[in-house]
Amino acid sequence: MTRVSLTTTLRDERLRPWVLLAPTLIVVGGLFGGALVQAGLGSVRPVRGAASSGVTLDAYRALLADPELPRSFALTVYLATASTLLAVVLGLGAALLLRRAAGRSRLVTAAFQLPLPIPHVVGALAVLALLGQSGLVSRVAGALGVVDGTAQFPALVFDPWAIGILVEYTWKEVPFIGIVALALLRSARVREHEQAARSLGAGGWQRLRHVTLPLVLPGVLSAAAIVFAFTFGAFEVPLLLGRSFPEALPVVAYRHHVDVDLASGPQAVALSLVMALIAFACVGAAMALARRRVRRD
Amino acid sequence: MASSRQLMAEPTRVAAPASAGRHPGDAAGRAWLRRVVVALLLVTLLLPLLPLAVSSVGQGYFFPQVVPETIGLRALRLILAPGAETWPALIDTVVLAGTVTLVALVIALPAGRALGLYRFRGRHTVEFLLLAPVLVPPIAVAIGLHGALLRVGLTGSMAGVVLVHLVPVLPYVVLVLAGTFANLDPDYEAQARSLGAGPVAVFRTVTLPAIAPGLATAAFFGFLVSWGQYALTLVIGGGQVVTLPILLFASASGGDTAVTSALAIFTAAPALLLLAVNAWAVTGRAVPIGGVR
Amino acid sequence: MTGIDLRRLSKRYGDDVAVDGLDRRIPPGRITALLGPSGCGKTTTLKLIGGLIPATEGTVDFDGQNMAGVTAERREAVMVFQDHLLFPYLTVGENVGFGLRMRGVGRRVRRGQVDTMLERVGLPGLADRRPQELSGGQRQRVALARALIIDPRVLLLDEPLTNLDPHLRDGMRELILEVQRDLQVTTVVVTHDQEEATVLADRVALLFDGRLAQVGTPRDLHDRPATASVARFLGSPNVLAGIRRGERVATPVGELTVPHGALTDGPVQVVIRPEAVVVAPSGGPNIVHGTVRAVRDLGARARLVVDVEAASITLDARPDALLALAVGSEVSLRLPAESLWAMPADHAAPDGGVGIDHEHAAAPARPSTDVPESPPPESPPIDRRSRTDIRRP
Repeated sequence: MTRVSLTTTLRDERLRPWVLLAPTLIVVGGLFGGALVQAGLGSVRPVRGAASSGVTLDAYRALLADPELPRSFALTVYLATASTLLAVVLGLGAALLLRRAAGRSRLVTAAFQLPLPIPHVVGALAVLALLGQSGLVSRVAGALGVVDGTAQFPALVFDPWAIGILVEYTWKEVPFIGIVALALLRSARVREHEQAARSLGAGGWQRLRHVTLPLVLPGVLSAAAIVFAFTFGAFEVPLLLGRSFPEALPVVAYRHHVDVDLASGPQAVALSLVMALIAFACVGAAMALARRRVRRD
Repeated sequence: MASSRQLMAEPTRVAAPASAGRHPGDAAGRAWLRRVVVALLLVTLLLPLLPLAVSSVGQGYFFPQVVPETIGLRALRLILAPGAETWPALIDTVVLAGTVTLVALVIALPAGRALGLYRFRGRHTVEFLLLAPVLVPPIAVAIGLHGALLRVGLTGSMAGVVLVHLVPVLPYVVLVLAGTFANLDPDYEAQARSLGAGPVAVFRTVTLPAIAPGLATAAFFGFLVSWGQYALTLVIGGGQVVTLPILLFASASGGDTAVTSALAIFTAAPALLLLAVNAWAVTGRAVPIGGVR
Repeated sequence: MTGIDLRRLSKRYGDDVAVDGLDRRIPPGRITALLGPSGCGKTTTLKLIGGLIPATEGTVDFDGQNMAGVTAERREAVMVFQDHLLFPYLTVGENVGFGLRMRGVGRRVRRGQVDTMLERVGLPGLADRRPQELSGGQRQRVALARALIIDPRVLLLDEPLTNLDPHLRDGMRELILEVQRDLQVTTVVVTHDQEEATVLADRVALLFDGRLAQVGTPRDLHDRPATASVARFLGSPNVLAGIRRGERVATPVGELTVPHGALTDGPVQVVIRPEAVVVAPSGGPNIVHGTVRAVRDLGARARLVVDVEAASITLDARPDALLALAVGSEVSLRLPAESLWAMPADHAAPDGGVGIDHEHAAAPARPSTDVPESPPPESPPIDRRSRTDIRRP
């Protein structure tokens, strides 16, 4: 009974979850943490042949000195913010609509999720084929005589407002937010609280404002944080649909990464690290906000 | 039967179906309007795939033709030809996504159990840390890991790409499984154990059937996350591991629009197929992706 | 005070019938309990009254006014849910003031009323807490305060005591009785617990499978069950099939004098409550002899199962019976005539289901209109006799 063996150690209920988590934590920690540490070291390591030795902040200095970087940063933040807002508003609206109109129809739910599994590369090309200057919308406009040639069609892709990129993100992320919201909306928790509110005299809009939204918002906010982080760091969509100046930060990082200039390597790594920290901070703040709003019992 | 009963009943108020409300016309109209808006929504979501489909079968598809002058299967034949690059890319993509999913499931199963069934200090921290790789830009992860993997000779190899794909896939799989385990009543396992089942028998006869739908969902998401991955494959694969998204991107820079469109549909088709199968067969209800719990 | 009339109220989900043609008046200003086993349609009925779900057929009237077109939010029939359903993102005070806010009452007025109401339910000074910080009992009180603050016409309570620990139930029960007495609000309580119904309600409506099985005072149901299934649900396992001839009923335990209940000659069922059986009587009529099959110590009393002829009698005796009566010992029992109650035999439901079909056959309207109504408790036994005679087809 007092024998201490490996099995009894494993059966210790306090240790048990950590034992179960160990493989995942090792893999994620090793790979992801490893990547961060590597990036941290790589960003301060002097370039071979350079005059300085030991630790150097040259890469960060070079980034700060880059006159194009602020505009890239602004573009990336704009893309992430705008597409997240669009996805939340439209996704939540779609979920509210689907709950009322589609019931539990699997067909409609499945169709709604359609864009989710489609790779972003495909999505970007689809948006190009739809909204590009020789895309379907432009052709329809041409056939109707609204425009005379491809050049007359307004630039919706490779444009200053990055409309093409926003459309692609919205197309992919509205279903994501929508499915998360729909699952919450269909829960018994939401339905019953709405009934309680009705019974207390809350009308349709009052229920939406005072009950439904406060109940689903924390979950939707978490999903929105994921959307923000994704659109902040996505690489292939701005590469395919964005203008060559300014470029989104992930594209800039990749350009540095493949640049033959030796000094570019640490800059790519430094920029990656900065992006990671920004994404982290934004999402951490959003989640803390969500948790403070509703402390679940 | 019902009518005779009503005839015999006292002739006071005849019950009107309460669901119709006071203005049945209004309610019906609104329901109809909602259905139209839903239809519009679904059409909008499908719309971007339409021009891809049209242009993939177009030959001499010049502005401002809306429908191509000649419809042909040239592009399809090109990408599906026996010697086409499509096939090795398809094999690479399937092998990659399959391996990543399998490895992730094996690692994630105990972790999902821990997060789903146990309340312990540090659980929220672990959940947040697991979410971290999903939140950090993949390109940043790839660039960060590139140096280390280069030193151990894993860049440009399938093994290296499998490893980096685990970074985004594993958290998804763990969090979906955590949700599944949270719905599992461990008393069933205790019941089986008290009836004399060993750990393996308990897992096979009680746990596995209970978590099977969640397992399928987790596998489904893991597979798709890996399938669509571009940045990680590009940086770590270094042109040696050519998956469908890599091939598609190269084709997009090449210039043959019809071939690119056909390849795009080809790249998306398995995902759509999987989604359809999943929607009907496995869960039958909306499952939030991304472990937002 | 609002009287409620349920008129052939039905709710079906596909082929499932949750509520089957309820036709009943719920008296104003009183507490009525809807009692029944789980899944009998009690909560559905409550939601139908509150307008939270649409009826498939039939109507709910408040003071003679058809409520079909009045949505739940304008019905002023407030439901207090079993799980309290306090809004987790609001404070206790905001929860209590919710209904006033929906009615456009200003913040300052609200605050005053909220404080008064919280005091009323015994939770003064908790307005700024979060619901999550309260105990289960406190949450249930907040839910009650939240309902009462809008001065509803009808108060609908769904299992108000079920989720509470036993030691909290008394307090909550007293609170409900107290505020109901003060406010005189028409109250409908759903419960599956006979004791709860007995203590809380002036009248009890017993529901089986979406139909009314019996309506009356708690005492009526207890002493004068309408059917064997009512008797069994209310805790009388002693249901004996028998043949009546005059005052005498031939049962498997012997011939008994049964002066009360169904008085038609022919097949009847006789019921006696376990606590009414007398052990080792000194003499008198209706004495049977049997062998003790089982003895159970229930703490405050002893439960015995005695085999008598082909049947068995379950009875509750004083705990000292535990010492005197061992399994296998012979015992005499008296089944006091005044405690025996005869019911019509179940034809349609031999298992003791809701069977009063011999009456339905001649009834023109829906079966539920024939719900046996027990007489008011103050009526003398002779009333029962005449009523039973009248009811005979």
